[in-house]
Amino acid sequence: MTSRKRNPMADAVSHSTSDGVRAKAYASWRLQQKLAPYFFITPFLILFLLFGIYPIIKSLYLAFHSTNGPRSVVFTGLDNFRFLLNDPDFATALFNTSAFAFFSVFLQLPLALALALLLNSTWLKGRTVFRFIFFAPNLVGQVFAGFLGIVIFTPLYGLFPKFLNMAFGVDPSIKWLGDANFVMPTLVLISLWMYVGYNSIYFLAALQSVDKELHEAAAVDGASGWHQFWHVTVPAIKPVVLIVVIMSTIGSFQLFELPFTLLNGSSGPNKSGLTLVLYLYQSGFETGNLGYASTVGWTLALILMAVSLVQRKLSTSVRGHD
Amino acid sequence: MALLSGALLLTYPATIIPENRLQVWTFARAHFDAYREAIPGFERDHAGLKVDLQYVHERAVTSRLRAAFASDLPVPDMLEVEIRWAGGFFRGPLSDIGFVDLTRELKKPRPDGPPWFERVVASRFAPYTARRKVNGIEEDHIFGLPHDVHPVLLAYRRDIFEEHGIDVEKLTTWDAFFSEGRKLLKKLNGDGQTKHFLIELNDASSEHFEILLFQRGGALFAPDGTLRMDDETAIQNMLWYVPLVAGHDRVAYSLAWNLEMMGKAQESKLFLAVLMPDWLSGYYQKYAPAAHGKMALMPLPAFTPGGLRTSTRGGSMMGFSKKSKQFDNAWELALKLYYDTDSRIEQFKLLNILPPTRESWKHPALSAANPYFSNQPLGRLYADQAESTPPQYASPYAQIARRKLGEALSESVRYYSTNGVNGFEDYVRHRMKQAGDEVRIQSTLNAYD
Repeated sequence: MTSRKRNPMADAVSHSTSDGVRAKAYASWRLQQKLAPYFFITPFLILFLLFGIYPIIKSLYLAFHSTNGPRSVVFTGLDNFRFLLNDPDFATALFNTSAFAFFSVFLQLPLALALALLLNSTWLKGRTVFRFIFFAPNLVGQVFAGFLGIVIFTPLYGLFPKFLNMAFGVDPSIKWLGDANFVMPTLVLISLWMYVGYNSIYFLAALQSVDKELHEAAAVDGASGWHQFWHVTVPAIKPVVLIVVIMSTIGSFQLFELPFTLLNGSSGPNKSGLTLVLYLYQSGFETGNLGYASTVGWTLALILMAVSLVQRKLSTSVRGHD
Repeated sequence: MALLSGALLLTYPATIIPENRLQVWTFARAHFDAYREAIPGFERDHAGLKVDLQYVHERAVTSRLRAAFASDLPVPDMLEVEIRWAGGFFRGPLSDIGFVDLTRELKKPRPDGPPWFERVVASRFAPYTARRKVNGIEEDHIFGLPHDVHPVLLAYRRDIFEEHGIDVEKLTTWDAFFSEGRKLLKKLNGDGQTKHFLIELNDASSEHFEILLFQRGGALFAPDGTLRMDDETAIQNMLWYVPLVAGHDRVAYSLAWNLEMMGKAQESKLFLAVLMPDWLSGYYQKYAPAAHGKMALMPLPAFTPGGLRTSTRGGSMMGFSKKSKQFDNAWELALKLYYDTDSRIEQFKLLNILPPTRESWKHPALSAANPYFSNQPLGRLYADQAESTPPQYASPYAQIARRKLGEALSESVRYYSTNGVNGFEDYVRHRMKQAGDEVRIQSTLNAYD
């Protein structure tokens, strides 16, 4: 075995070299650490800028212009917004959409909560199966529900008019999709079928997280079932209720596919199925007025922001009370 | 992945379609099936050329095309556009229009006969024509090749009319038709529940109203783009139409556009007559087998004795992208699919759609007995009316006009159902003017109209 003599000079150089390498490696590692997050978010950022930010800026630009292809653009200032304020079609679309949102919140959500309470009952057997059955309509999507609706609601021969006729003697020739009085009820009915089960899943999750001891304590104190629901269950699930209300309202204001397929792309008799997004589509892609369509889009965005702000305020005040 | 695909797209902008590939879009399933049969022959004659035929829903064609034109992106070399949407692509200066101007090509003399412009029914160019003033002179520019004529006849239940001894040949005016028809309905329905209607007419959208408006000599727009949907002819049509579909004495009804229900309606003899464009007769043959051999066709009864006996519904054009580098091949293919007699006769046998060129109307296949329509010579009956097919003039606002007309109809129906004839005429006049004004206001919004 041969022993190597250590050379202090070489050691010093080697030390300083390895320190330099280490320092470089450290600096590089620090740089990587700094850059890595940006590198990881780059794909998202590119897509977000391309398909999120750019369209938003472009649509804002279009809202103040009249265009006819990329080479023909005229600045029109606030003309589109002025027109919108006096546009009877926009007013109808806003009314219809608000009506739909109203029914979504005040009809759909109580039913969803009732269904969740039912599914949460200890006496109910096969809850998982029921849960799937009620959730399933949501899986088909609005387009499919629309096409199904056309067949089911066809006067004289459709399943729904036939059922109403047999069960209650209702005139089967009623045009559910061809009479201005019945279009909104039909839309609401189909959306109930699609979303009651879906929303009930949220409520069910909230109900299952309510502390059972609170119910037991209330029962010991002599609280009735109703009192337990009102004073124990409702306060406990309030945050979830508010989230579902906000989501349902925003979803309702974005209603498009269902009336579009159900009414074959039209606004329905006497505009009874015209919603804000449908009007936006008609203005942009049927009339070819992308500037006005952008104005409708921005107005819808502002409405949704206002509604969300109000609901957020309400939610804060509710949390404050809690 | 995002970076890679983004880089790839940037490297190959707009030229991703190979040069030897001709891309064709059609919005009608029936056309797609017919073209698929015809294209292999064309490919054999053009070695190395591949035709990429795609079936795209009519609304998707419209919105994708509009988005592509608006952002200067490439579109297929040639594509079909439905008649209702066509006008929307012809707004603004000629340089802004994304389709090739076909006027010169269509009016050019051909070695095999007169120019195509003279061989096709003139009224069929109207929906695809943009009128522009150049140096103070108005010029028409044609941007679409008409695929069809789509004359409308009246299809009626021959079995029922004959059973009750009604000779439809004598019903040459609408007055005579409704007079006899009301008597027949009374016999069929008795005093109980209404099980039969004389004719299918829609009371909430304008599709059938338009057919009758055109037959009456009315229009949505004049050739120069002026709105006509609220003129006196349209008002008279509304006053005549609404009592047919509303009130206690109504004789008409309609179902939503649904092929399955069309079959059911014929099974239960719901409609004794239907306004039948040639293309719809093909759908009836396929989807309403219950009426096989029981239906027959006749020219539409006229509004006045000796008046027009037909109208039109539907249609499509072939447009050619200005960006395409294969116009010659695309033009040749379009002529084969649209104007080659043999090819169109094959399509006629499949779809009952009358070819738009006069020379093809002499073909014996058009005189062949059609067993579904009581062995009548279906093609001949349509061809006999084709020359009189009324025009539909192009406008970017045609679709809004249709919607507004539908709204006016729907509200007039509601008024008539509640109030009957009391104040009905005043109401219709007011409502039609309102509908027209709404279209006019919309048209002020775009700086290019």
